[in-house]
Amino acid sequence: MHASEVRLAWLLILPTAVIVFGLILFPAIFSVWISFHKIGLYNLNDVFHAPFIGFDNYKSVLNDFAFKWGGPNQWGAWVTTIFYSFISTFITLIGGLIAAILLNRPFRGRGLARSVFLFPYVAPVISVAFVWRWLLDPRPSGVLNHILINLGLLETQQAFLATRGLAIWLVIIFQAWRYFPFAMLMILARLQAIDDTLYEAAAVDGANSWQKFISITIPQIRYVLGAIFLLRLLWTFNKFDDIWLLTGGGYGTNVLPVLTYQFSFNMYDFGKGAATAMIMMAALVVFIIGYVLIIMRNSEES
Amino acid sequence: MSTSNLHERVNKGNFIDHLAKTLSWEKFLFAVGLFFFISMIIFPFYWMVSSSFKSGAEIAGRAPVYIPSSLRLDAYRELFDPAWKSFQNFGSNIVNSLLVAIPTALIAVVLSIMGAYASARLHFKGREWILNGVLIVYLFPAVLLMIPLFAMLSKISQTFGFNVQDNLVILVLTYLAQTLPVALYMLTNYFRTIPDEIEQAALIDGCTRFEVIWRVTIPLAIPALVTVGIYTFMIAWNEFLYAFIFLNDRATFTIPIKINTIFNDPSPRPHVVMAASTIMTIPIIVLFLAFEKYLSQGLTSGSVKG
Repeated sequence: MHASEVRLAWLLILPTAVIVFGLILFPAIFSVWISFHKIGLYNLNDVFHAPFIGFDNYKSVLNDFAFKWGGPNQWGAWVTTIFYSFISTFITLIGGLIAAILLNRPFRGRGLARSVFLFPYVAPVISVAFVWRWLLDPRPSGVLNHILINLGLLETQQAFLATRGLAIWLVIIFQAWRYFPFAMLMILARLQAIDDTLYEAAAVDGANSWQKFISITIPQIRYVLGAIFLLRLLWTFNKFDDIWLLTGGGYGTNVLPVLTYQFSFNMYDFGKGAATAMIMMAALVVFIIGYVLIIMRNSEES
Repeated sequence: MSTSNLHERVNKGNFIDHLAKTLSWEKFLFAVGLFFFISMIIFPFYWMVSSSFKSGAEIAGRAPVYIPSSLRLDAYRELFDPAWKSFQNFGSNIVNSLLVAIPTALIAVVLSIMGAYASARLHFKGREWILNGVLIVYLFPAVLLMIPLFAMLSKISQTFGFNVQDNLVILVLTYLAQTLPVALYMLTNYFRTIPDEIEQAALIDGCTRFEVIWRVTIPLAIPALVTVGIYTFMIAWNEFLYAFIFLNDRATFTIPIKINTIFNDPSPRPHVVMAASTIMTIPIIVLFLAFEKYLSQGLTSGSVKG
């Protein structure tokens, strides 16, 4: 190995390293520091001399009305976040699985259907979120209201996204709609790799479609399902845009990323915002470690 | 299915009936499922495009107008026609978005070629460390980084006296930071699939490393480069949170921030929001359809976070 080659390598990787360090790694570490200091708009320009206040930001978050559990009508952000990210990931996965099974079957126009199925995932979040808000609009020209009233299921117009209890479910459905294509693509790739002879053998044994699905398809795609679940859960847990654009975090849909934003950029309490983000990250890390341990134990057993 | 088994079933007598029954039942479920998915997906997009062609009266009527009576361009004129009342000057927002997305994509491609070449071909200490670090970095969410970034950039702007807020360059840099780790990861994997022998031959023939990269590696990696370029473009074009935080001056608004502003206008004009959304979505869908073959592979390798 030549010294010149090593120098060249570092030279080539340097710009990327500088950007990633300066705009991701350093800020991530800095964010830990911020979470232990009192920082508002007033001392933002002199941030390195901000007063150290220990765990006060964390205490303040944990005792915040918007964060903590306040009974069945006021879940608080942490319960809402956990509820919504698990349910939404689960429904996304089921949607992706059904879509993948549909598209795994040969039919005319399958290629086109596959492209169309991916539209919600590639389209800009702001466009699709606002189309959904427009579909769910409480005015007489809102589509869902019109349909439900015509079907006799609803008496008067309702502001669905401003209805506590319902809003969180609509957010979940929106997320499933938007993210199922990701699960679909991954599952489809795995489905197409399953050896056909397995199904033929099962057919010889007289298995029906359901039995084939349960005893061949599911075991074959188990690991990819686990992987997608973990990935989507991470991303859903951290997701800001979708909820912010649909409900602004109101009506029982306040989740930790939105709360982080509100503490920092509506109340300008950056320390408290950073503490919320750290609590979020801590929860994620604990979850990932637990998940990996369980997965590894299971895979060692089998 | 083996013929002996078939015979056995036929002899039992009910095989054909059974087959016909299960097949049609399955086909029915399949058709219903497909119809459900297609309509659930298409309808919102149809609603977006069709609403953009409605007049203000159709938008605010007593019932939704499912098919616009004619292609009214009111919404588009509000976006683009300076003579229109409440003219939005949307053209400048498109320019801003392009000014952010195109440099992000180009720089990401160039930097990730360099970085990926180094980590795929050259041997140096700390190589694995960098590659693993890149993957960990990928897990840090934007929400975590927005506060320290905001604080850092305010400090920098105060110290060096240049304006960080309302600066599109800052957006390009933050988008690069978000996309480079994955771009690097994807390209490194791709470069590793290109046989080293070709490059070795070129080196022996007297090419320099840069000539090798330019004449051998890049031409062979065109599909991966296209994928990386289009992904980074799409991410930068669609991004909302950072633009929302860093941009305050209307003149610098990118498309998503502009749409958000129109949406939150005191007098609601959904047709204008839908027109702007249509303009924002169509290039993305066209890009996606044009390069779908490459992009689907990239999607399954987890390159788009979101």
